[in-house]
Amino acid sequence: MTTEAPQSVHSGLLRIREKLPAWKTWLLGLVPVVVLLGVWTLATTGAAEERMISPTILPSPGEVVASFGQLWFDRALTRNLGVSLTRVVEGFLLAFAVSFPLGLLMGAFTKVKAAFTPLTVFGAYLPIPTLVPLTLSLFGTGELQKVMFLALAFSIYLVPLFVAAVDTVDDTYLKTAYTLGATRWDAVRRVLLPVAWPDIWQAMRLGFGVGWSYILLAEMVDVGRGLGGIIITSQRRGPREHIYLVLVIIVAVAFLTDKLWAAAGRWLFPYRDQKR
Amino acid sequence: MAQTEDQPKVGPTALGKLVLFLFVLACLGGAAFYFRDLIAPGGRDGSQQVDLDQFQRVEAQDTQGITTVNEYQYVPGEKLPPVKGVSAYKWDPQQKVVNFPINVWIGWLPIVAANGGFAPNPESIFAKKHGFQVNLRLIDDPVVARDAFASGDSHVLWGTLDMMVLFAPDLMKDSRSAPRIYQQVDWSSGGDGIVIRGNIGSVADLKGKTIVYAQNSPSQYFINNLLLNAGVQPSDVNHKYTATAFEAAAAFVADRSIDACVSWAPDIYNIPDKVTGTRILTTTAEANKLIADVWAARADFANDHPEIIKGLVAGIFDGMDRLKDPAQREMAYQWMADGYGMQADEVRAMAQDAHSTNFGENKAFFLNANDPANFERTWKNVTFVYRELGLIDTPVRFDEVMDFSIIQELDRAGTFAHQKDESRSTFAPTSYKKVAAESPILTQTIRINFYPNSANVFEPEHDEMGKPIPNTLYDPSVAATLEKVARLVGQYERAVVAVVGHTDSSMRGKGTRYEDVKGLSMDRADAVRQALVKKYDFDPNKFTIEGMAWDEPANPDDPSNHALNRRVEISVYPPEAK
Repeated sequence: MTTEAPQSVHSGLLRIREKLPAWKTWLLGLVPVVVLLGVWTLATTGAAEERMISPTILPSPGEVVASFGQLWFDRALTRNLGVSLTRVVEGFLLAFAVSFPLGLLMGAFTKVKAAFTPLTVFGAYLPIPTLVPLTLSLFGTGELQKVMFLALAFSIYLVPLFVAAVDTVDDTYLKTAYTLGATRWDAVRRVLLPVAWPDIWQAMRLGFGVGWSYILLAEMVDVGRGLGGIIITSQRRGPREHIYLVLVIIVAVAFLTDKLWAAAGRWLFPYRDQKR
Repeated sequence: MAQTEDQPKVGPTALGKLVLFLFVLACLGGAAFYFRDLIAPGGRDGSQQVDLDQFQRVEAQDTQGITTVNEYQYVPGEKLPPVKGVSAYKWDPQQKVVNFPINVWIGWLPIVAANGGFAPNPESIFAKKHGFQVNLRLIDDPVVARDAFASGDSHVLWGTLDMMVLFAPDLMKDSRSAPRIYQQVDWSSGGDGIVIRGNIGSVADLKGKTIVYAQNSPSQYFINNLLLNAGVQPSDVNHKYTATAFEAAAAFVADRSIDACVSWAPDIYNIPDKVTGTRILTTTAEANKLIADVWAARADFANDHPEIIKGLVAGIFDGMDRLKDPAQREMAYQWMADGYGMQADEVRAMAQDAHSTNFGENKAFFLNANDPANFERTWKNVTFVYRELGLIDTPVRFDEVMDFSIIQELDRAGTFAHQKDESRSTFAPTSYKKVAAESPILTQTIRINFYPNSANVFEPEHDEMGKPIPNTLYDPSVAATLEKVARLVGQYERAVVAVVGHTDSSMRGKGTRYEDVKGLSMDRADAVRQALVKKYDFDPNKFTIEGMAWDEPANPDDPSNHALNRRVEISVYPPEAK
């Protein structure tokens, strides 16, 4: 039986848990973007000296868009995007290879959890940027350092979520399995993991986005290639337009990959969103 | 509609579908390959070849070369871009506090001394003599300093001239935040350097090696200028970039696959001490007129408060006078240590990294058009290097940021006449043999086309009767070539320079006496030295000359390439230990 959301008894502009048609959702989502662009335009229109915000701090949307060609051709946007994307994916795969078994074991076995919890708690409050010099001296200045740094950042984020995913699997499933004569291994492999998969996937989806927020830190050393490199060099020698453009591009790419994750999740775990 | 058995199949077979699919895929792939430069262009990452012949070449502006001091005749105010709009900096007319950020660098000692510490205070020279106060703020990150300047939070921007070249195009988008440079504070003199690993003897050996340094910093200018001066294409070297010089040093120590790093004191001195197999290749102790520290004021602030700018310039010169007194100097070390959160000893240890430029030296830097390492030449040199590397598109002209009006005004008033130019190194006469025993930092081949049997660099053209044609030059680019040499020699102000002349071997075995040929090659080297000394006022003892006759062909595989062999080679040697 499905339970319908309670019908709102209130009327007016804002109703609690109101159902919206898709077009309204899109329209409402568009409003803040338009307002932001409007404010941005307003603050940066006119001669350089007459603007609210000087172009040396914030270029106008038009100027930002106009510098796109230069970013694409002179600064090899697509190649650098490819470089950053590769780093994020490699770091993520590496982190997954470590965090997944660890998270699973911690979620399943209380003793393993007790052993590693202090470390994950420590990690949760660790200011990630401080790991840059550490990874530098451990892994040199090349590709390895960037991937390892991202892998560390990913792991710190992923492990607790993986643990939680396994942790929250309802005891009923386990009890049923035991009644049916499941071994310890069966319980992990055929009960905990399959039930936890949708949540693990969700954690991976969220975690993958985290990589983009650390790309600038990862690419601080051996600056040059990658989107982070473009931002760092643009900060120093301009043009400022490229900083904002790359920020938009990073967000766009992160958004796009997030949608892909979600789509893949719906395809892999169709039962997740089903009403039980 | 469901397909039924008796309906004939419409459309391609399975194989047909596959072929169609592969065809479309191939088309897409082909299109992607065809448009690869459009889809994923390579960008301009500085890997293109630099035209070494153009390096340091300028328009031959002054061929007479009769004066050694040639003051700029223009009025700075007429060249500087006018300030438009309403001034946009933070200012309290009652308090009158100038926000002057500085970085961790010993070169700022004079202003710390003049200000009596970092905080604004009524006891400072600025307050007592000029009626305003100065707030020295530690902003070590140049990007943050730049942004504070652009937003009007700081009135002043610290930086080296090479950083100003990179910053200026963006800052000048708003005429109010355009930088105006009024004063040189110091030359880096040992503060920047290159540490190498393994058997790298000279700059030329860096070919094919990996170097790490802070991008868009004086390090980048230092190493690329060095490479170009040594005739090495920057693209022949593998560059690795870090955000700061400190990280470059750390990366070099951590990663043994890196052959060299460009960094700052004290790292460049600590690394050879701690890491075996590393040593210093060269520092700004030799290239002591390469990296100039200056400060710039916002154009709108300078426009509104010319008296404050003048007070800043004069106050800093006063600070230099103060530092002559050992007690005052100690006090300044302590103030600086407090400002940076360091120990006074640490600050004292940095004292050798910079050479404060007093009034006399500022006069030479800003006003003397013939000074081989003046503002104009340094600016143009940086611009050339960075433009060739693809780092700047539309460079700013030197006279759009340089304002020497205050130095000129103080000169007329004679306020600092006692601060003589102390920066000139003196040289004892030395022989080529003695100098050449050491390995040079870098060697540059320059080509002046000498008239046959002539050692006159300014030899005119000759008509068919052999008579000289007045007002012509046999080698019309001689002035530009000398300018190029002068800039290199000027940057390595403390180094010894060997000028070696060569001849072609066209008369070999044809009855010409070897001594005469050797004499000719020597005379050519001497002629280059004389021309440089005359125009740029170098110490003649800075140069040592030698003639090699036809003994060392430029290309040993092709010794009969006579045009290539009629040449002069310039080598820069480290100064002799005293």
